[in-house]
Amino acid sequence: MGLEQFKNRNVGQQEYVLLDLEHTPQTPMGKFKQVVKRTFKPELFVGLGVTMREMINALFKGQMHTIKYPFEKLPISPRYRAIHEMLRLLESGHYRCIGCGLCEKICISNCITMDTRYDENQRKEVSEYTINFGRCIFCGYCAEVCPELAIVHGPRYETASEQRASFSLFEDMLTPIDKLNLQQEYDGFGAVTPNADENIKKTPLAY
Amino acid sequence: MSVHNSINTGKPITVTIDGKECKSTFGKTILEIARENDIYIPTMCYLTKVQPIGSCRMCVVNVEGVDGMILSCQEKAVDGAVITTNNDALFKERQNIMRLYDVNHPLECGVCDKSGECDLQNKTMEFDVDAQHFTARDQHRPVENWGYVSYDPALCIMCEKCVRVSTEITGDEALKVKFGGYGSTIINVKQERNYASLGEAAAVCPVGALVQTHFKYTANAWELEKIPSACPHCGGGCQMYYEVKHDKIYRVTNEFEFTNLCGAGRFGYDYANEGVTKDEEAFNTAVEAFKKADSVIFAPQISNEEALILQKLKEKLGFKLVCHEACAYQKFMEAYAKVSGKNIYGGNLKALSESQGVIVLGTRINDDSPTVKYHINMASKWQRARVAYMHPIEDGEMQHIVTQFIKYEAGSEEGAVALLAHTLLADADIPESVRSVLDDLDIGNLSAESNIGEEELEALRKSLLKRHGFSLVVGEDLYAHPRAEQIAAWVALLERYAGFNVICVPPAGNAMGVSLICDLDEAAEGKTVGYNVKGDFTLSALGDGDLDMPALNQQEGTLTTVDKRVVPMHVALPYGGYVLNDIANALGLKATYTIDYTEQLPQTAGFKAAAFDDLPEYFDMVGNEHRGYLLEPQSVAQELALEEVGELDTFDGAVVYRCNPENHFSPFTAKSPLLDEEAVLTGSQQFATVTKLKDGERICFEIDGVRFERVFKIDTEMKGTIALNPTFDMGLSASLLSSYRFSRLSFEKCNNDKIGNNDE
Repeated sequence: MGLEQFKNRNVGQQEYVLLDLEHTPQTPMGKFKQVVKRTFKPELFVGLGVTMREMINALFKGQMHTIKYPFEKLPISPRYRAIHEMLRLLESGHYRCIGCGLCEKICISNCITMDTRYDENQRKEVSEYTINFGRCIFCGYCAEVCPELAIVHGPRYETASEQRASFSLFEDMLTPIDKLNLQQEYDGFGAVTPNADENIKKTPLAY
Repeated sequence: MSVHNSINTGKPITVTIDGKECKSTFGKTILEIARENDIYIPTMCYLTKVQPIGSCRMCVVNVEGVDGMILSCQEKAVDGAVITTNNDALFKERQNIMRLYDVNHPLECGVCDKSGECDLQNKTMEFDVDAQHFTARDQHRPVENWGYVSYDPALCIMCEKCVRVSTEITGDEALKVKFGGYGSTIINVKQERNYASLGEAAAVCPVGALVQTHFKYTANAWELEKIPSACPHCGGGCQMYYEVKHDKIYRVTNEFEFTNLCGAGRFGYDYANEGVTKDEEAFNTAVEAFKKADSVIFAPQISNEEALILQKLKEKLGFKLVCHEACAYQKFMEAYAKVSGKNIYGGNLKALSESQGVIVLGTRINDDSPTVKYHINMASKWQRARVAYMHPIEDGEMQHIVTQFIKYEAGSEEGAVALLAHTLLADADIPESVRSVLDDLDIGNLSAESNIGEEELEALRKSLLKRHGFSLVVGEDLYAHPRAEQIAAWVALLERYAGFNVICVPPAGNAMGVSLICDLDEAAEGKTVGYNVKGDFTLSALGDGDLDMPALNQQEGTLTTVDKRVVPMHVALPYGGYVLNDIANALGLKATYTIDYTEQLPQTAGFKAAAFDDLPEYFDMVGNEHRGYLLEPQSVAQELALEEVGELDTFDGAVVYRCNPENHFSPFTAKSPLLDEEAVLTGSQQFATVTKLKDGERICFEIDGVRFERVFKIDTEMKGTIALNPTFDMGLSASLLSSYRFSRLSFEKCNNDKIGNNDE
């Protein structure tokens, strides 16, 4: 698209349309007539009628438009970026994080700190993982870079707390093991594309 | 190497690489010339410090007029050659090599320790390998824990660098290749010994197959900050990097392409004096203690700058300055200089590694200075050098290297060195005065007293015939010997008249620097201030003194190395307390930082007036060292005063030899948790018979006023009646030991109940 229409600053040649409005009354009598006419129009009752209709719909027909926050909450977009969650593997229940350290590296506000060690099962174990939510800007890079879809942004936007530390430990963000069946796969930043299966190349198995 | 080649070695040649005209000398490989001229040839298995391995074939190049591809790492360039390092065919060849390397390579970069500094990762990217087009049946290859290092055969690409390093450099010869096609693997044939020197083999591993066990999975390469420094333990001053994250050292690495680091350097880094704050009261007491002190006694584990501060304080306050190890070395080198005419010995490590004949005298070199041992090993492997090892105790760790073991009686070093001089100077062009002293030697008597057979010396002389490039390594046994000055004169004769590359291995820490900087006194008297030594007032970097001091990884400064180089150290860990410079300032010296003294190091001793921040720290593309500067040897007035060999005071019966195990040097290595080793008195079965001691018995004895309590362990590999007594666990008392390294053992058995549970 060219920029011609923006560069043309000659107002008179553009397609303005004049609205067909009444002329403002000029005489005192004319003004008086307009006041009386507006006052006794039935439009006030139309408005009251709408309110009455909505009230009846809400109270008796179950079409309430407001919700009782904080007892009720609206669903939130999967792309919303709130407090992080650490997901578990659905099969084994083991946490997905492999301790690769990419989230720590990519974090632009340097709020992720982790320590890893060599555990008894010869795995890399995450021995410490904290996010400083005083610094976190919820940019979503950590979720995007995570190769295991282990760290994701959850829908938990209520972050008022006496201490920010309440959210920042690995265990606090980890899906509780008894709620594993309720764990939702994340669709936002860093999630696999819908056509991921088509892009997979298989390694040849000649033997 | 053929005869024809060796004749032409060193002749100037010109070759053209990728259109660039490169001047060099004959004898260098194409790859070496390319690197000299900043031309990139990719390699996977090439390691500069060992001989070309040639297992990867990545370094192939085309040479005009030669069919096929040539391995540039092995092929010596000839004059006029026109070489192409990159074209489509070469790229395809290399790409195919990378494809093969990548077959079934575990996709665990996410957790692999090497990720981020991995040669395989880099080259896979470089040659666009993004898919695996063929495969092989994978095998079960479990991870093996070898102690200091762990080996994951699944990640191994069989480049063989580790095997070469273990054989050609460190000489432990623990790693071998187990051939078997796709099932080939590296095996550790000496697993039970758990060599810390395998850390060097792990360092050269281009992938994550061989890693330091303690470091495994604890941090990623890119998270660690590399702090260049020098290892302060043995006096080798080897190049190293402390890799630090969150004020904690995670591991130690080095410029593994060009230099080496022994186990103590690599695993003995965790000795910092942590959690120290400024204790003003203790500081004021320290200043007062210095004012009142009659002597200051210190351990040689200090930097050149600190030594200079102590020297300046001595000049100002007039106390005696005592450092036993350095003092003995200083006296030895003074006597040495009178004959050689130079204030420092003439040898260096590079010449040692290029020698065809090496004589080791008066040192258990594998334990005293691993880096010197590595260079002897290089000479042995590359030059097939004759290595004569002269010592009262045989060392099993040296048996692959040593071609002739010459045993002499403990205490008869003077006789041994005189016999050696007599043998090696037989045909040399020497002044009449020296010749007459040599002729006057009572060879029969010396030979009988020292127990060195004349036929042994004759064999040594013959073995050195028709060879060139000789080195003599002498060590700590000689420095504290009662006749050290005479011994020094004999050794210096060999440097001056027999053309020997002589290295007088400094006894401990920075003893060489201390001996060059300080004007040392022999014995302490009156009130003492100790620095890392027990005194009436003790400054200690071990955290157990009256005032805390920073450990050597917490302070800036320079060290003087066995290679006669002054090298910088940097701060790896924070330190919150007072340093020696603060005390010096309170006593009237003036310097903002300790390193302000770097420029003032005495030029009369060979130091240069270079500021600390101007000292370079790098290796160039072909491995030339640019680290600090080399000491400038100073001329000393010659004064040849050879005395007759004195009465040889030999030791009979049970004798102990002061000697730390391979990975330990000082209380600082003892403090490092990774180098966990129990200090025990080790002797042979014969020693046990003579002393009527049983394995595991606990005894007490005293040397130089230091009381030892030791468990006795029998080592079946040892022979003779000399036992090894370590000192590294003695803390602040370790540096109080001043006498000759061998001493007669008079002991009493300790009450085992009183001491508590033993292993019985």
